Amino acid sequence: MASKDKPHKKLPLEGIRILDFTVVWAGPFATQLLAEWGAEVIRVESTKFFPSTTRGTLARPSKELVQQGGIGGYPDKDPGERPWNRAALFNVHARNKLSMTVDLTNPEGQEIFADLVSKSDGLIENNAIATMERAGVSWEKLSKINPEFVLVRMPAFGISGPYKSYRTFGSHMESLVGHYSLFGYQGETPEASGTSLFADPASGVAGALAFMSGLRHRRNTGKGIQIETATAENFVNQLGPHILNYSMKEEIPEYMGNRHPVYAPQGVYPCKGEDRWISITITDDSEWEKLSSLIGEVELSENDDYDNVEKRRMNHDVIDKHISNWTANHDSIELMNILQNNGIPAGAVMNEKDAFEDPHLEQRNYWEELTHPEAGTYKYPGVLWKSNAIDNKLRRAAPRLGEDNEYVYKTILGYSDEQYEAYEKNGHIGMDYDDSIQ
Amino acid sequence: MSGLNVLDLTSNAAGPYCTRLLADYGASVIKIEIPNSGDPARKVPPFFDDGESGEGSSLFMFLNTGKQSLTLDLKDKRGLEVIKKLIINADILVENFRPGVMKSLSLDYESVRQLNNRIVYTSISNFGQTGPHRDWKGSDLVLYGMGGPMINTGHPDKEPLQLANYLPSFHVGATAAAATSIALWGAEDTGEGDWIDINFFETLMGHIDRRSTALLNHQYDGTISTRPPVAGTPGSGIWPTADGGYFFTTVLANRFPAMAKMIGAEHLLEDPLWATPRARAAPERLDEFSAMVILWMLEHTKTEIRDEVEKAGVYGGPINNIGELLQDKHFKERNFFQKIKHPVSGSVIYPGYNFRMTVGDHEQDISDRRPAPLLGENTDEILSNQLGMDQSTIESLRKAEVV
Repeated sequence: MASKDKPHKKLPLEGIRILDFTVVWAGPFATQLLAEWGAEVIRVESTKFFPSTTRGTLARPSKELVQQGGIGGYPDKDPGERPWNRAALFNVHARNKLSMTVDLTNPEGQEIFADLVSKSDGLIENNAIATMERAGVSWEKLSKINPEFVLVRMPAFGISGPYKSYRTFGSHMESLVGHYSLFGYQGETPEASGTSLFADPASGVAGALAFMSGLRHRRNTGKGIQIETATAENFVNQLGPHILNYSMKEEIPEYMGNRHPVYAPQGVYPCKGEDRWISITITDDSEWEKLSSLIGEVELSENDDYDNVEKRRMNHDVIDKHISNWTANHDSIELMNILQNNGIPAGAVMNEKDAFEDPHLEQRNYWEELTHPEAGTYKYPGVLWKSNAIDNKLRRAAPRLGEDNEYVYKTILGYSDEQYEAYEKNGHIGMDYDDSIQ
Repeated sequence: MSGLNVLDLTSNAAGPYCTRLLADYGASVIKIEIPNSGDPARKVPPFFDDGESGEGSSLFMFLNTGKQSLTLDLKDKRGLEVIKKLIINADILVENFRPGVMKSLSLDYESVRQLNNRIVYTSISNFGQTGPHRDWKGSDLVLYGMGGPMINTGHPDKEPLQLANYLPSFHVGATAAAATSIALWGAEDTGEGDWIDINFFETLMGHIDRRSTALLNHQYDGTISTRPPVAGTPGSGIWPTADGGYFFTTVLANRFPAMAKMIGAEHLLEDPLWATPRARAAPERLDEFSAMVILWMLEHTKTEIRDEVEKAGVYGGPINNIGELLQDKHFKERNFFQKIKHPVSGSVIYPGYNFRMTVGDHEQDISDRRPAPLLGENTDEILSNQLGMDQSTIESLRKAEVV
């Protein structure tokens, strides 16, 4: 749908200013989505406080530690002068956002914050309750400063109840709410399954939708609102059918590996090479006929033990062996193309290289290049959905810590050069974390 | 979303989760279903009844709470006339047919825009409305494997693993609801609608699980990621507990001393073999510490461990099942699980809303919602109240199986 001759139209959220107090992944994904569609998202940060697992796991990781790698790494495995501006963990979601610094632990910082609140539409945060108390973020206070404010709070377990103070990553919350009992290898214990981080993106999307609902509420009533997005509740909602199923039979289902509740066979099968796999789901008899004739074993294609889904489910183990023996001789990408061209739902389990080489994403201009002054030029997953009216593109790379201080303090808040200097001297404004932070 | 009219031409899981969210926050959602058979999700087991009625599927009941059902044969000219009249008053249309099907029904965005140029028209598909994979087939497993971080999910020595059923679909559906809501904000401002092209492959590729970070990191240092071990740092892992369950911990480098203290091994901290993060990163230390942690875990229950890790500042959660979740004191105190009465399935437990908007003193309850509609439950009501059709016209449409 993206065409070059689309007239320039303004993005839907242009003119909406959001104060971003988010950390790790869940909250930042909410503000990423809103920034993508034009909201001015200002990360409110501090040179005196380094929230873990946001601008990296440590502010100043040693070169040695960075050399060990991991998915949250640094360009060329080099932390650089200011590692917090180079971390993949942060730079991937902070595109299009701005960064300012202020020390909220003293009264002067709180005055600056109050000014910001009066000149913004809302705030999104996903911190431990105590952290927000220390930062002076509460509905009672913010709604007095700006009665039309939209406050979206995303603590894991909500702002009330016995667990409200629990510190948790999304993956431990998923464990507590039952997700780890719903996925796993057949016949194995939970130790074998590894962990899930799916609640983070799920929470981010809910936070964005909550903020939009808050804006609508404000427009309809003229009043602000606090919206509580307990990420645990949002995630449990997404486990809905499993809740209803329990309500029906009070049974704890066994792990089903990669099998499907309705279709058979379904599985993830090995392909040629190291850590190469293909997923296949057979959704009807004609797809099965096609697959078994491609495999070319008479024992499969001309066997009435497999000619309907019930029989295939009963004989799933045997079928899996036949499929695995066949897929193991094929390249996963080639096989995906062969199977899909034959009308069979199949997909390579893609690693990073596969993703960047995929012709579909290439043709849809999915990847967008951005240049970051301290990290370099790289491709990013682009705007997540396409609009017919607007040819929406990413606008800028992730902000360096405090990069937009001048704009925020002088242009938005209207402080003079003298005041700006004073705030700099008083430790609000800066681009480096305090030396005491490791 | 009160006051918004949504035409729901979706079926199965992703599209219905999108429109369910819109309904939950106040939109009036009319679900268009094929006469006699309806949404295929009606036939997805397990069922609260014998499955024959098409009303007792837990999946369907969960996804369609709060909506109205209108049966309509869109391939019939008279059916098409009905939907066109509904389009005129709609704010939002959501569909998840295969790309090209809406066009074959003369209901593609261009045709719909002729009738109503302020409508937000959201198309949800596997791979998008254009591109070489456009017509490829998908399933949650296939699309999670291609777009999502499945290569990072599961055990390092085993095949990649899917998550709980339906999560990829619901994630894409929720993202589509956010997309629709954002586009609507713009449409209400300019008076001109939009067509949103959202799909599984791209949504999962760019979402913030391990995947998007790994994609940037791959360009940073060439890493091709795989399934990480749970026990990456000393004290992190999934451990058996005294009450026969499991507990999951993650110990960040700076919390190791607290974890050591928690299990009564503070003496390690004075030993040079254990004193620094670097020393502790040695594989032998990892194994030795795991052995100590297991012994401690086996002497404590999940609840005790949860209290202890909180004190120590260690991230952790018990591995609960759905039965335990329904009994959990936190969710009980927040009144999260509630019952909705369904005419075929009886009183059924539902999870509450995704987020809570407390307006005035009124806390909205999920139990206030209407249950998922019976097939065609609202057909007469919609045709007569919204389109002013008389009873004999409705009867003739019904006889012709158009409704």
